[in-house]
Amino acid sequence: MKRPLVIALSILLLSAFLPLGALAAEFKLVVPLPLTGKVAKFGEIMKRSFEMAAEEINAAGGIKGSPIVLGFEDSTGKPETARAIVEKLIEGGQPVIVGEYTSSCAKAVAAVAEERKTPYLVVASADDAITQQNYRYVFRQNQVNAHYADAFVNFMGEVVKPKTIAILYETTAFGTSGADAMEKDAQKLGINVVIKEKYEAGAPDFKPILSKVKSLNPDVVYMVSYVMDASLLMKQIKELRLEARLFAGGAAGFAIPEFVDNAKDAAEYVVSATLWTPKLNYPGAQAYAEKYKAKYGDYPSYHGASAYASLFVLKAAMTQAGNWTAEGIRDGMKAVDLKTAFGPVKFEDKEGYQNQNFVETLAIQVQKGEFETIWPKAHASKPHIYPVPKWRDRK
Amino acid sequence: MRAPVANPGRGRPLAVLAALAALPLIALVPGVNANYWMHNFILVVMWSIIGMSWNLLSGYCGQVSFGHAAFFGIGAYTAGLLYAKLGLSAWWGMLASVPVVGAAALLVGFICLRLRGPFFALSTIAIGVILRIVAENLVGFTGGDQGIMIRERTWVEKTWYFYIILAVAAATFWFVDRLVASRLGYYFVAIREDQDAAESLGIDTTRYKTIALVLSAVICGLAGAFYTSYMGYIDPKVVFALHDVSVMAIMVVMVGGVATRWGPAIGAVIMILLAEIIRTIPKVGTAHHTLFGVLLIVVIIFLPNGVVGDAGALRRLLRIRRPS
Repeated sequence: MKRPLVIALSILLLSAFLPLGALAAEFKLVVPLPLTGKVAKFGEIMKRSFEMAAEEINAAGGIKGSPIVLGFEDSTGKPETARAIVEKLIEGGQPVIVGEYTSSCAKAVAAVAEERKTPYLVVASADDAITQQNYRYVFRQNQVNAHYADAFVNFMGEVVKPKTIAILYETTAFGTSGADAMEKDAQKLGINVVIKEKYEAGAPDFKPILSKVKSLNPDVVYMVSYVMDASLLMKQIKELRLEARLFAGGAAGFAIPEFVDNAKDAAEYVVSATLWTPKLNYPGAQAYAEKYKAKYGDYPSYHGASAYASLFVLKAAMTQAGNWTAEGIRDGMKAVDLKTAFGPVKFEDKEGYQNQNFVETLAIQVQKGEFETIWPKAHASKPHIYPVPKWRDRK
Repeated sequence: MRAPVANPGRGRPLAVLAALAALPLIALVPGVNANYWMHNFILVVMWSIIGMSWNLLSGYCGQVSFGHAAFFGIGAYTAGLLYAKLGLSAWWGMLASVPVVGAAALLVGFICLRLRGPFFALSTIAIGVILRIVAENLVGFTGGDQGIMIRERTWVEKTWYFYIILAVAAATFWFVDRLVASRLGYYFVAIREDQDAAESLGIDTTRYKTIALVLSAVICGLAGAFYTSYMGYIDPKVVFALHDVSVMAIMVVMVGGVATRWGPAIGAVIMILLAEIIRTIPKVGTAHHTLFGVLLIVVIIFLPNGVVGDAGALRRLLRIRRPS
């Protein structure tokens, strides 16, 4: 009947079962990342940065003499696929997991890592809940979403002193928790939230929602979004001549070079929260940023810097670890206290988070088409420009 | 479209079930990533259930749904909310989802089944999208975009998950098989072939279409409730996804074979397992979307009735002669 076909299919299946032979001296690290799909842009920045870090570590003799051999698997931004990859890696004996980008994938990976007792280092997923589960094996290097905008809020309180704020955010875990955090911060500063509205990520037109904002005339417009929406929002704000004393973004889409490339002059003077900038005086930060730019033509965003630094963190953890088992690396991670290109990294249990690194956040402003660090003043690369000129006064 | 009922003697369901039940034994094969493969097998079986559900409504009864994510999502959220709000195990969701999804499907049927053909299909798209947006906005109830996260899943091991979903799949298979061969099944096919003719023969088409919808929805909801327990995390974008759930359900059946007995199962193997294998081929796998897309185009051009539906053509295509 269908026998030949069945046999052919089973051979195909069986061949896929065969594991790839691993060499003893190398440390093979496969990283799950979204390399296709909507958030592939972030995956790409991170992939390049992982590669650069591995190259540098290997040139300096690897981890305790073992070179890192990097591999990548495309999770396509789907939790099931991310989980499949991680199940395979853990089963295949990889003692530690690093990577993923979207919060929903990171949550799926974190749950697997915890139940399989394998340390997982989150490098760029921001949803607060990831490190609030009392997980023992989940570490996060980037700041939690609740604190993403700390420096920006500080800047707002000291310089802008607005009375009203409009918060626009996309309907994702990242957008929602970012907007909630900003609402709380605004209330603390006594700023009145005149509107807090979500929109469908990837919407083709924001004019209805922006017209509504315009009619409310807020002092500050704060937006949380991934890449494409950020530039479209600013372009349409310009077209509508929506005037506010300050336009601001909550990291992600507002803090990567594509934002300025796409929004062009509409991006000028926009302030954004961010976790990292290329001009910081952390050890190796500028060298990494310049090297990245020389290679790929643009400065990396904080996602890249975090990915880049994560391998150095891993190296520190594995150098300290007595053995390279999951348990050993987990204890090594807990003991990490390292100054990296991404800033100081140390995993703490506080404010209801576990194994969370609390990095100082920053505010950046687009000035003449370049991101400049403006806040906190200790890290500022240029003084901030405020007040921001009205649209008609701009050339 | 094919003949209503496949030859019941063919296919040997019990033999297939026995073979599937032995799959967890791959843990005994040295050098095999048992957990990884079990994860994929679980997803395949889960998708075959969703496929059978879609096949019942759209394949046999001819009411093409683009909104099965609605039922999948309601099932998933029933389980998730039992856990998050009442502190119960999410497994109760598989039981609770039956009345909840059934009631939701009645309501959907009341609205959408007044429409025919493409209009029905469009309205189901709307239902799926509306439910996603509702789940995103009822923050106090569903947790909105933050989703629902189950802190600790029941088992680390996959074997039990596999047997649970396999049991649901076997029951669904048996149920659909019986249903299609029954009077009800003939009514469904009559409605698919010509609704007006069916009506003129005295079949209460609205009633039977509603029955098909509710049964199909409940089956799909079971898969959704299972998903919550198995994955431990749901959010509106994941479980009410238009592309990743609704369209996927259609593709599973289209590729496998519409209105065939084994179509959904074969389709799930191709859409999940083959997609995963292509994704993990070293080097070439980078272009997995392209490769898989080409494969789907080839299937649709040469096997318009699906792999099972056009098994004869497939044999000719591969120049495989029928033995004996």
